[in-house]
Amino acid sequence: MSKISLVFILVIVCLLACSKKKDSTPSADIKIISLTASANPVMAFDTTVITMEANGKNLQYAWVANHGKLKGSGKTVKYSACQSCIGHNTITCRLLNETGEVSDTVMIRVTEWHPKNKH
Amino acid sequence: MSRFKDFSLLILFLIYGSGLWAQCCTSGNPFISDAEQPALQSRILNASLTYRYSHSGPYYIGDAHFTELPYQEVAYSNYMELQLGYGVTNWLTVLTELGYSVNKTLETPGVDSYKGYGLGDAALYLKFNAYSNSKLRLTISPTIGVKFPIGVFDQEVDNVQLPISVQPSSGAFRYIANIFVSKGFGKTAIAGFASYEYSQLIQSGNFYYKYGDQWIGSIYFNYRPWKRLILDLQVRNEFRGKSSRENSEIVEASGYYVIYFTPQVTYAFKHNWYLSSFADIPLYKYYNGIQMTFGYAVALRLTKKIDFIAIQARTQARKSNQPTVEE
Repeated sequence: MSKISLVFILVIVCLLACSKKKDSTPSADIKIISLTASANPVMAFDTTVITMEANGKNLQYAWVANHGKLKGSGKTVKYSACQSCIGHNTITCRLLNETGEVSDTVMIRVTEWHPKNKH
Repeated sequence: MSRFKDFSLLILFLIYGSGLWAQCCTSGNPFISDAEQPALQSRILNASLTYRYSHSGPYYIGDAHFTELPYQEVAYSNYMELQLGYGVTNWLTVLTELGYSVNKTLETPGVDSYKGYGLGDAALYLKFNAYSNSKLRLTISPTIGVKFPIGVFDQEVDNVQLPISVQPSSGAFRYIANIFVSKGFGKTAIAGFASYEYSQLIQSGNFYYKYGDQWIGSIYFNYRPWKRLILDLQVRNEFRGKSSRENSEIVEASGYYVIYFTPQVTYAFKHNWYLSSFADIPLYKYYNGIQMTFGYAVALRLTKKIDFIAIQARTQARKSNQPTVEE
């Protein structure tokens, strides 16, 4: 039995030891021009297109939203607003290349779905 | 002949399992709803592997179908869980579980689906045999436990972060307390189960979110028509409070109250192998605000029970050339 208990404990300790770390070296070679949303505010269940304009070589784009859903890749993504993300939500775009990375955020306000809001 | 009968029953289980459908919209492991068991006897190991498919889809506003959405979204998941339980003493059982999401998928028309996958949460439970009376066939087993968010969280596809609802791990610790009471009558047994779960704040690099507290209460009717066949009928209600986000802001479109019906069939094979099939069918749903709701779930569980005391007794009997005792 004691061996089985030890195996259980070891498995949990090993799994807990796994962690993910991101290196982020600021880059002076990447210049952000703009980070814009096609619609802001946006109603729940609607979408808005978010575009990053920047100068730099071999740029990679990484996108994160603290609430809501993002779809797409590269300089443009589509943000889908949900009823559970009513309020102010932050979308962050990180730009990376071999010189390092920079990032910018845009705040999207999501409003409650309402039939009257429909056009 | 007996092997053929067992094999036929296995096929029947698989057909039954594949023909039915499983909880969406929260990160981490889903609640596995099969019939709860009392604490194990000393030196008994229970190992089980569960597969669960869940399907969610219809949007609800309160307890009514919400049909004004301009599109239809569905979510489904294929989930596996390994559980190990060991009776350390006659009054203490240690249980562990490890979840793995083969996929947690959200499909929205017009865009590629959101698909999360990977290791979910690990859990550790201590189950106590607080009261057990074999004459009255009454047992009371309280449990305390913790879910550890050891798995995949903040998962990205093509450098774009997946939404929280399809993240395989919870992203935060969860604390659980429950109690199971069972009373036997002839070939039947009636059991009650009540559970509380507290979720810690998810505070990863990208998410700041706290799921509401969860309460589960259920009643089981257990019937054993034949020696090897066990039927369980369960009615369960599940309540989850509203979530909160930055600045302690309450997420109004979160939290729910659902009543489920969960039928379960278990077949006991030789050598302490068990195969169970069960399904979650919602009877009543109430969701705060407008939310995607749970559709149905189906699961299969294969269990092996090892009685170390019986093994030891057989080994000793063999050594002393005495007749063996059947397991």
